[in-house]
Amino acid sequence: MSFLAKRCGVKFDPPSIVLVYEESDTKKMRQRIMPVRNFSKFSDCNKAAERLKNNERHRVYLEGVSRKQLERLHVVLRDRLRGRTLEESLAAMEPDPDEDLNKLGDDELARRKARMDELFERNRKRQGDPDFVYDLEVEFHTEDAKEPCSWDEDESDDEV
Amino acid sequence: MAGDGGHVLDLDQAKYDADEQVKIICLGDSAVGKSKLMERFLMDGYRPQQLSTYALTLYKYATAVDGKAVVVDFWDTAGQERFQSMHPSYYHKAHACVMVFDVQRKITYKNLANWYKELREYRPEIPCIVVANKIDADMKVTQRNFNFAKKQGLPLYYVSAADGTNVVKLFKDAIKLALAYKQNSRDFMDEVMRELENFELDAKEERSSEREAELFLEDSEVA
Repeated sequence: MSFLAKRCGVKFDPPSIVLVYEESDTKKMRQRIMPVRNFSKFSDCNKAAERLKNNERHRVYLEGVSRKQLERLHVVLRDRLRGRTLEESLAAMEPDPDEDLNKLGDDELARRKARMDELFERNRKRQGDPDFVYDLEVEFHTEDAKEPCSWDEDESDDEV
Repeated sequence: MAGDGGHVLDLDQAKYDADEQVKIICLGDSAVGKSKLMERFLMDGYRPQQLSTYALTLYKYATAVDGKAVVVDFWDTAGQERFQSMHPSYYHKAHACVMVFDVQRKITYKNLANWYKELREYRPEIPCIVVANKIDADMKVTQRNFNFAKKQGLPLYYVSAADGTNVVKLFKDAIKLALAYKQNSRDFMDEVMRELENFELDAKEERSSEREAELFLEDSEVA
């Protein structure tokens, strides 16, 4: 029998990761609650996520759930142990593109940056990569073909 | 504000008057990728000078332009508002500006207007390049016109610190612009400063630190 992960979430008391999944044979939706053990506000969420993913009893259910996602759920649990509200920790998790990061303190800013770094690292070309070019120049000159940017729209009335 | 000596960095900024020294400032909101751009240009292993008190990272870069040796100081600044009081020192004696926004975050584009306004208060004439960073996240943005640059008559570069697109070109061009500005500077403040410096030099050779502070005071008062 295999299990198709549908959604996951957290429960705060006791700290647990919750998985909603479909049983392939019966097509039944089920919920599995996996308590997070030996977890404190000082825990390493990356390691805790790995531990859960490799857990004897839970691993088959978690095959379709990425370690990154499990890590984020652990961060939410850890945030609660550190006294943050769910809203605060979700806001920090999925950076709001309209949020003014200039107003943040160092910790909060580092957290947003860490999230952005995931994409940076994915797209990064390093020295030594076969397709790395130090001075990579690309022209984007198609002036006439360019679309106006919606970001400029609210200013259109003050244009001559 | 200008009388507060705390705004003058302990760094010797008089050196930027020497012909072979230029200062280029990197401006823009927090997390638009200013440091990542610097690191991509200077590559791995480069160790910048961290001046955390000033929320500043200094990248020194030695190069040659038209056969002449040039030393460039890149001032990588913090976007966070609590460092606002440091800004006059950032602008002081800068010869060019690289102004960055993140194509994924509209607010960083909207804030360019604020950065630019402040830049022009202190440095009315220095060359400025607008940089659309993180184009790797969505290449479609390179098909879009960002009106701010056009409106201000500034060049716009589409770059990616991650894959390196146009990063080296950006900084090489910025260095050329900084040198050209320095050589043909018609910036009123620069002339005033040179006059003052000559005057001071005639009067007394020492007390150079005081001179620096006084010049700086002039600078921010006029602005």
